Amino acid sequence: MTGFHSPSHKEYLLKQREVYGRHIFGVFPAQYPRELLWAMNILPVEIWDPPLDTSHASAHLQSYICSIVRFGLEFIVQGKGDILDGFLFPHTCDSIQNLSSIVNDYLKPGKPCYFFYHPKCPYRESSHRFYIDQLRDLAAQLGDQVGELDYNQFKQCIEKGEKVASLMRELYSLRASGGLSASNVEFYRTIRQGEFLHPDDLIPRLEKFLENSRGSQASETSVIMSGVLPNPPEILALLDELKIRVGDDDLLACGRRYLVPPSQAKDPFEALAERYFHMPPCTTRNSPIRGRLEDLINKVEGSNAKGVIFWIVKFCEPELFDMPHLIEGLKKRGLPTLVIDVEPNQELTGQLTTRIEAFGEMIR
Amino acid sequence: MWLSKKIRYHFMKDLGVPGIMRFSRTGKKRRPRKKSTSLGPPLVCNSRLRELMATHYLLSRYAQGAIPVAWVTSGAPVEILRPFDFYTFYPENHGALCGAQKLGPELCAEAEVHGYHQDLCSYARIDLGHYFSGKTPVGRLPKPDLLFASNNICQTVVYWYKALAEYWKIPLILFDTPYNFGEISEVDISYMVRQLEEMIPVLEQISKRRFRYRRFQEIVGIAKEASLTWGEVLSTMKARPSPMTIFDAFNHLAPIVSLRGLPAALEHYRALLAELEERVAHGVGAVKDERWRLMWDNIAIWYKMRDFSNLFAGRGMNFVTATYTNAWSETIGYLDEAKPFESMAKAYSLVILNNNLNHRLQLMERLIQEFQVDGLVIHSARSCKPYSVGQYDLKRLVTERMEIPTVVIEADITDSRAYSEEQAMVRLEAFFEVLEG
Repeated sequence: MTGFHSPSHKEYLLKQREVYGRHIFGVFPAQYPRELLWAMNILPVEIWDPPLDTSHASAHLQSYICSIVRFGLEFIVQGKGDILDGFLFPHTCDSIQNLSSIVNDYLKPGKPCYFFYHPKCPYRESSHRFYIDQLRDLAAQLGDQVGELDYNQFKQCIEKGEKVASLMRELYSLRASGGLSASNVEFYRTIRQGEFLHPDDLIPRLEKFLENSRGSQASETSVIMSGVLPNPPEILALLDELKIRVGDDDLLACGRRYLVPPSQAKDPFEALAERYFHMPPCTTRNSPIRGRLEDLINKVEGSNAKGVIFWIVKFCEPELFDMPHLIEGLKKRGLPTLVIDVEPNQELTGQLTTRIEAFGEMIR
Repeated sequence: MWLSKKIRYHFMKDLGVPGIMRFSRTGKKRRPRKKSTSLGPPLVCNSRLRELMATHYLLSRYAQGAIPVAWVTSGAPVEILRPFDFYTFYPENHGALCGAQKLGPELCAEAEVHGYHQDLCSYARIDLGHYFSGKTPVGRLPKPDLLFASNNICQTVVYWYKALAEYWKIPLILFDTPYNFGEISEVDISYMVRQLEEMIPVLEQISKRRFRYRRFQEIVGIAKEASLTWGEVLSTMKARPSPMTIFDAFNHLAPIVSLRGLPAALEHYRALLAELEERVAHGVGAVKDERWRLMWDNIAIWYKMRDFSNLFAGRGMNFVTATYTNAWSETIGYLDEAKPFESMAKAYSLVILNNNLNHRLQLMERLIQEFQVDGLVIHSARSCKPYSVGQYDLKRLVTERMEIPTVVIEADITDSRAYSEEQAMVRLEAFFEVLEG
């Protein structure tokens, strides 16, 4: 396939407002209830890695703060968020937590800022009740700006969320079994459109991508990707060149959020809670390391992967803390690992290319 | 728990360790340090502190296998562990101790060999370095039966304790404190209260002891009293000249962190408060010629404590307040024996690092006014993201609103490899010039 091209972000967003009257919100990584926002006629646009020079952000942040936070702040300082109607900050890590406060308390971007605290592992009965309370509280707060939550609309959006999740599960499953012909670059370019497309647009795109990409994968060798997000995409292109298929991923921006099991709950709040508590293990929810290791091993087995690449954003504490244990656990099972410590939007260096090539040779 | 170990522990607690301490008092004297000409007489309570903490560390060696041992983060609501007779050990305090003894790089390197990145918190790396190597300046640390963490100070402690839980195969209990983006809500309080209630059967199972509510209330009362007394200790620094420096306060912080809820901490602060009040009454200053009064932001740079103490005192500058030392007295007023769960939820979730930066700015402004501060030194600590992210804006706002000179030093709490003396001195010299006019 695929010949798929994403529309220009800005054009798309403006159309969403003009044609559908949607409120456009900038949302920081990573875990938040998308369906609730959709139901309130809000289009969440995620801010992970806008391709910006971050020199302005350096006036606010130390050099040892990760580039996701740096890009996010730069986006706001440069006024790139002017077309937005508000911001949502989920409680992802210490740095994003403080970023939210820098923006809300000090920089005052002239847009409403909302916050979403999701409970951290280990989960108990109290975590479930708190999560539902948080959802209701967020809905009430947003309601003051965009109008009250419509329960029926909410139920429909839960169904749309489930449709997106089921397509993602199918895409991931096909890829794992070698039944998806799309390249690594095409795959992630497509699924990352979930970061800003409305489900009414995302669902047909995913369906079309699925339809056009069914077919055997030329690459025989498969690896698992673990980390935050697939950027720089040049790494994916290099893997394509080396005929290495990403068989599955444990990326915060991708598999950890998209591979949500279906919910049986009738109540939409309960459905969202069920999804949250059944997401794949993740550092940003403090999932136990053992669970993460088991999940990685399942992915390795499910996609016949020959190794695991840890694609780490520099200074990302949640990821860096789990890594030694995961590497040790994988090595005990004879699985080679490669750690790539790289900045998003950074050019691929010769040294990094050589390391990836050498890893490719080793696992072949 | 083994009976022989129990007997040995109680013997050491009641007779052995106190005897060793008595002997060490009468035995070998500490080698006198070179006296600074700029500093006033050292606090008499310093030796009391050393003995108190030495007792705590020494006794911890005998706790393992005798009574349940918990490793606890500095911001966790330890009061709930005390009715179960847990021996509590604080890795952050141990990290500070290692840092002060300049062992940070060596222990961090042990963790780095095992894959822990140099960009990670150095308290965590020291602790993991100890796990891999067994190295510690205190002889031996007790192996825990339980890890007890709260993310009210950072998420890092949870990542770190998760790793320990995996290595030791022991339970980790988290007290999850929703971050206060704005005001604390009833939903947040209910969530925290329910968590505390849910912990009780788990703690009963681990400790094999029943929860005693009355005892718990008493402990909450003792913790509150100790923290309030610690607050009074810090308040004596409002006097001119201040009877102690923030470097003294950094040292005397150890009991309120490590022994909170135990009578020993309260007794220590009562003695320290009496000494400081005596000093204030007689006009005895910690810095002989106190001309400038400063505030410190963030955790101490443990390996530079002595150097900085002498450097600033030599210029007639005394640090009289710090956001860090204040953290263990600021919210403790919420504690209420009649409502221990609800009050603990507030006291522990409203601490500085679990609050938005507007709160931090207002706190700093209040402290600057109350302590008559002339300048602010901000430690940008590579290890501590929640303390450090936002400091550049805080510096700008404090300078504008309070019209005092401010400076940022880039360093780390214990890993001296992240500190450049030359760079720090260039910044400090510029700060001194502005301050001294």
